[in-house]
Amino acid sequence: MNGEMEILEKVKKAFGEKAETAPKWERQSEIKVPLELLHPLLGYLRAQGFGHLAMISCVDWIEEGEFELVYHLWSYEKRLHLLVKTRIDRENPTVETIIPIFRIAETYERELHEMFGIDFPGNPNLTPLFLEDWDGSPPMRRDFDTRKYVEEKYGMIDLTKELWKREEPVLEGENGED
Amino acid sequence: MGLFRWSQSRSLWMMHFCTGCGAVEMPPTMTSRYDMERFGIIPMATPRQADILLITGYLTVKTLKRVVRSYEQMADPKYVIGFGSCTINGGMYWDSYNTVKQLDLYIPVDLYIAGCMPRPDSIIDAFVKLREMIAKGEANGWKRYRENLEWYRTNQAKVFNVEKWSAIEP
Ligand code: SF4
Repeated sequence: MNGEMEILEKVKKAFGEKAETAPKWERQSEIKVPLELLHPLLGYLRAQGFGHLAMISCVDWIEEGEFELVYHLWSYEKRLHLLVKTRIDRENPTVETIIPIFRIAETYERELHEMFGIDFPGNPNLTPLFLEDWDGSPPMRRDFDTRKYVEEKYGMIDLTKELWKREEPVLEGENGED
Repeated sequence: MGLFRWSQSRSLWMMHFCTGCGAVEMPPTMTSRYDMERFGIIPMATPRQADILLITGYLTVKTLKRVVRSYEQMADPKYVIGFGSCTINGGMYWDSYNTVKQLDLYIPVDLYIAGCMPRPDSIIDAFVKLREMIAKGEANGWKRYRENLEWYRTNQAKVFNVEKWSAIEP
């Protein structure tokens, strides 16, 4: 656990009480910071050898009206995994981009923009990644009603009917054709 | 006409559109273990030379767009095989927000292979059935597509979220 404690101590020293640090289990620790400390902290950690941003994930705390962004950092020298967590307002989710610190964040932020509707000012490429022609609300938000959307957009097959007994494919006749 | 169809059914080139998980069953089907070339079927890399379009699994909206375009690039007569339950009713992605549930709303499917995923035996079985259907003149999805183009276009446009969608750009 030594490596973990060492870096957590350093973070405490540099950022004071506002950074809540906690070792989670072997090789993994978390640091919770308010939004205004996020960028300085990520820059600091990068300088400390955490050069690999593995992903950015997002948790939808709908009851509390907040999104929690989790930046997963890994250090190859220390062999440590850090979770940097910050909470943002759910109504108006905006986080300044971290591209200047981690170039790779461009794609991750693009995905979060698409899936959660979070805005990242400064990211030049927030175009759709997977969801071409998307017309619903961001699908990973917990208030997105997947089943309703699917029923409206794609239609569901009623599996209680014996489809294989139908005489001709459903599509024929729709057009008034014989 | 009979001879024409018979010879057609003996030499089919297949484009396998490897989406979803099902593509992994294609190598054993193509290679010596099951050897589909026995039936005159060989894999083909481009839609323009292909007779069969084999869709091997679920399709996201983004992929469907490419499928429709590939399908329209194929020369008549052309046949579509839907492989796996994902193409029939969405399979285990039945309530996924981004995959289409019924392939035959968007392109005409001549034959479905049920299963998740179907084994090479079932693929071979489907090829044999398709051959019979072609010889009998029953595999006429491509005609249905022409006759009901408007209907297919409407369905496609609905998931692509546009007023009107044309696969071949002007
Ligand atoms: S039918 Fe099953 S194996 Fe095939 S694409 Fe769907 S989930 Fe995968």
